[in-house]
Amino acid sequence: MSLKGPAKYREEAAKTIHEKPEVRASITAATRTFDAHRVHAWGQIDADRWRDWARDVKTHLLRNLDEYLEQAEERLTANGAHIHWAETADDALAVLSEVVHAHGIARVVKAKSMLSEELGVNGHLEGLGVHVRETDLGEYIIQLLGQPPSHIVGPAIHLSVDDCRSLFSERLGTPLDAEPDELAAAARDALRAEFLAADLGISGGNFLAADTGTVALIENEGNIRLSTSLPRVHIAFVGIEKLVPRLEDVSGLLQLTTRAATGQPIGIYTSLIQGPRKSDEVDGPEEVHVVLVDNGRTKLLADDAAWEALRCVRCGACLNICPVYRQTGGHAYGWTYSGPIGAIIAPGMLGLEEAMPLPFASSLCGACTDVCPVRIPIPDLLVHWREQAVQQGLAPPTETLGLKAYAKLAQSPELFGTANSVLRHMPLQLGGRALPVLGGWLQERSAPRSSKKSFLQMWKEGIE
Amino acid sequence: MSARDRILERVREALSDRETAAHPGAFEGWRPTTASHPVNGLVQLLEAAGGEVVRQPNVDDAAAWLASFCADFENSAVGETVPVVLHPPLPLGAPDTAPLGVSMARGAVAETGSLIMDARDGRRAQLLVPTHVVFVHTRDVYATLREALIDLVDDLPSAIAFHSGPSKSADIGQILVKGVHGPGRLVAVLIDGET
Repeated sequence: MSLKGPAKYREEAAKTIHEKPEVRASITAATRTFDAHRVHAWGQIDADRWRDWARDVKTHLLRNLDEYLEQAEERLTANGAHIHWAETADDALAVLSEVVHAHGIARVVKAKSMLSEELGVNGHLEGLGVHVRETDLGEYIIQLLGQPPSHIVGPAIHLSVDDCRSLFSERLGTPLDAEPDELAAAARDALRAEFLAADLGISGGNFLAADTGTVALIENEGNIRLSTSLPRVHIAFVGIEKLVPRLEDVSGLLQLTTRAATGQPIGIYTSLIQGPRKSDEVDGPEEVHVVLVDNGRTKLLADDAAWEALRCVRCGACLNICPVYRQTGGHAYGWTYSGPIGAIIAPGMLGLEEAMPLPFASSLCGACTDVCPVRIPIPDLLVHWREQAVQQGLAPPTETLGLKAYAKLAQSPELFGTANSVLRHMPLQLGGRALPVLGGWLQERSAPRSSKKSFLQMWKEGIE
Repeated sequence: MSARDRILERVREALSDRETAAHPGAFEGWRPTTASHPVNGLVQLLEAAGGEVVRQPNVDDAAAWLASFCADFENSAVGETVPVVLHPPLPLGAPDTAPLGVSMARGAVAETGSLIMDARDGRRAQLLVPTHVVFVHTRDVYATLREALIDLVDDLPSAIAFHSGPSKSADIGQILVKGVHGPGRLVAVLIDGET
């Protein structure tokens, strides 16, 4: 199964809801748990001050991004790492090919990285004839199933324990009634062999501190530490927006990100990687490559409103709280980044036409912005893209027609009065069958009774 | 023009008409209450994350504790910076097969319940073993992560890692399992005193 692109959103969302109701159950349960943990974790801190601080650090970073990028490059180079700049996914994959060929890489272990999904790293490696294995337990499960991640933090939250039982039984020979810890132990054994045999480890980067050239990585399992410690070469793909001015700033961002994502004070393992193994160290990679990736990020930065989305730390809190995301999970969105954050960065990174109709995949309830740790005004940006879509003639025809019709009505008192009267005489008592849009809704609800007179009439006659 | 220059040029173009934005200053970890003492905070968070904590008054007592703890193990992998007095009385094993790993932490962080693991101690013995014993002196416990990072900057190895509990995952049906890739058992041995 591969992502079908944003254009198929409505179709895919409907298909998920109708054909796989168990996905909604799994996603809703998992996201509610994530969010409950966030609520608890934010209750222990002055969350508003943390969020203001984090917003301001990332805004400062983005306003001075060129200088911080140059500083990070200089520091990483001084640390002995190789720096590459990639304008597009193809550029980033070309760097990967170079490293694979230069070192005769045959086996790769991968730490969980959304950027590597965005770039299509796995498919590229397979095309080169390289064996690549995802090592995060959730990523491993979906790699075996040939699926993309359905959530930024929990890639396999759309699957139930039973789904995993039958998969592991088939692939690893575990009993069909195995408990999750037995399944995890079987995966540990299979993946341990992969770690020990791999020549190359691939990771993303949660943060990149410019003053020290430090790539910071957050995880709970230990697979990122293993992927970046055991193979002789390590490549980190880092989006240019992931920079942070100083290593000391990473202290606040690490804690806020995990509290927002899973409610933990910090990840079980936090890696701070400066470069390749030094002469006084007994292990670690001999070569470290850091690939700074644009791939649409400078386009987003150039947008006067949407640049704020580049503050995102990929915690998934906006997905967890979103009533729309909870219905389907991430696959329906058709792109690497789903949910509210995906809907506001897709138009900037892919172009608005390709991202349609994602800015419309929201009720604009605003829950996402209430939980965003870096205070991205997500609903405002959804409206921003909707406005652009209408201006460019990309909005759904019903939306455009509806707005046009309303504009006509509102500009003519006679027409407005007539429409008003028609609406007041709608036979809602019949269960709303006369109104196709409300039909389903009214089957389980009693319809409101229309007033005999319009508000305007009452106003004229004097309201008591 | 290189890819680097084109990216930087696009960034500068995007920023040309934007207002400046000041850095907000130090992250001060604002919260209503903090632990009465950093060591207490460290113990509380490590245990909450599933770690085990042992406190010993000095290095000799820590060594004695280790000798009895080791009775259940056949061999062990030992970190490069572990002082000889804290080496387990066991044959040396390779990290990928040893049932036990013993490491020396460079310090710890109370605010996050983390042990600071330096690459110079050896990464494999910190990661591949199912049971990981980590010694740390209580005098090396930082109150906050920020203080720790500011202090570490002067002497950074190729990699530093914060270990804040046993390896865990909830990727199978949101059910928590321990020891997925890293050690499933983490024992932090806090050593007070100077000798």
